[in-house]
Amino acid sequence: MPLLIRIAPVALVLAAWELVSRAALVNPHVFPPVSEIALRWVALFVDGRIYLPLWETVWRALAGFAVAVAIGVPLGLLMGRVRAAEWFFEPLFSFGFPLPKIALIPLYVHWFGLFSLSKVMLISTDCLFPMVLFTYHGARGLSPVYLWSAQSRGTGRVRMLWRVVLPLSAASIYDGIQVAIVVAVLVAVVSEMVSGSTGLGQLMIRSYRFGDVRTAFAALVTISLVGYALYSAVQWLRGRLLFWHTGDV
Amino acid sequence: MRLLPLFIIVAAWQAASSAGWLPKALLPSFWEVASALGALVSSGEIFRHTASSFARAGAGFAIAVIGGIALGIVMARVKAVQRAVEPVLLLIYPVPKPALIPLFMIWLGIGDVSKVTVIALACLLPVVVASFNGARSVDDVLLWSARARGTSEHRLLWRVVLPAALPQIAAGVRTAIAIAIIVLVSSEFISAETGLGYLIFSYGGVGADDAMLAVVIWLGALGYLLDRLYLAGLRRAMSWHAFAH
Repeated sequence: MPLLIRIAPVALVLAAWELVSRAALVNPHVFPPVSEIALRWVALFVDGRIYLPLWETVWRALAGFAVAVAIGVPLGLLMGRVRAAEWFFEPLFSFGFPLPKIALIPLYVHWFGLFSLSKVMLISTDCLFPMVLFTYHGARGLSPVYLWSAQSRGTGRVRMLWRVVLPLSAASIYDGIQVAIVVAVLVAVVSEMVSGSTGLGQLMIRSYRFGDVRTAFAALVTISLVGYALYSAVQWLRGRLLFWHTGDV
Repeated sequence: MRLLPLFIIVAAWQAASSAGWLPKALLPSFWEVASALGALVSSGEIFRHTASSFARAGAGFAIAVIGGIALGIVMARVKAVQRAVEPVLLLIYPVPKPALIPLFMIWLGIGDVSKVTVIALACLLPVVVASFNGARSVDDVLLWSARARGTSEHRLLWRVVLPAALPQIAAGVRTAIAIAIIVLVSSEFISAETGLGYLIFSYGGVGADDAMLAVVIWLGALGYLLDRLYLAGLRRAMSWHAFAH
């Protein structure tokens, strides 16, 4: 029963929407009943039209995200432990973090073409900032006791980064991952809306051009579910990957 | 001194262009970008587009801040409002807000109304969440003490809950500034005839990379400046709070 009460406001909103549209208080073509949008959403899966754009958006987001993690984690660790790297990179990433990277879409299209490459590059650029900064703050803030202890046992510098600094910074790095996965989906969709080609963002724009609100809305629902699913998966994995982590070191 | 790495990058960029290692077709030299920016400024063109971008982002942002603070605080203090609004907000939360742009263009037209609405909606959530959390965590002792002196519930919201929640609200508003710029640029990329996003997109479309990069840098500098101004203003306004130190 509590669940029923909790979702009641949502149900009310949806019911009101359905009624307003069915009663033709608004143009049902522009504002279709929610039931018809739901049917269209199901239909997109049944006739298979959604799978290709869905796959394209997901793989672009994940590829850009993976590149950002692969570059951002080592760079952030380095910045956290090596003075010169910190001096050079920290201002660049701190200043760049709040800037809207999507403004670079036209430049990236020029450099990497209209198709997937420019989108994946833009996603990885945007995700790189949280990855680097979270890793850096994690690596910089850890207690020197662990480092002294490893050093006194003769651990080399490179080995130290991987075997001591990385595991100790894992919680902070994972915070960065949780930010970056959200950014990845957002940038994937925006770049698909702006520079066309394919994907869920493009499906939305195409539906908009044809005035097909049902499909545009169904695409929006799918995009939101993708974002939610990827974020949830990352969050679920946190407990499994960082099982040994009981709190902040 | 902290800016030195930035200067090194710019100097290396200019040097690579001058030496011919960086073909102009790939990236115009820093000098070309700077003179394009100079031309945009001296012709006044960039100010016109900055003004229309600012009007859009500012309107959406203002609606979100006023509405978001009010909604967040009322949600925190009135259980029924929280029960009614929270599930709806949770439903909207995972939606990447720029993806709403095409739908709102169908509903509200391709003009400014749809852009302002999406910006307001995107900025609303961080402000509501911050205000809600801030207002909910107000120290009960403050409330008891104000009530014991006969403060009305209405006045309590204004004079006790709002100031006590302000530090958290301020952080939410800062997030909203960054979101406003991102959604603004996305919406102007998708459809606009004025604005900085439009300017970037149209210069990019005709291959005028120097002017395009000039506007990108201008936009980045403005965003950075806004954030700094906001933080400086905050330090003054909240000198009573540890936040300022």
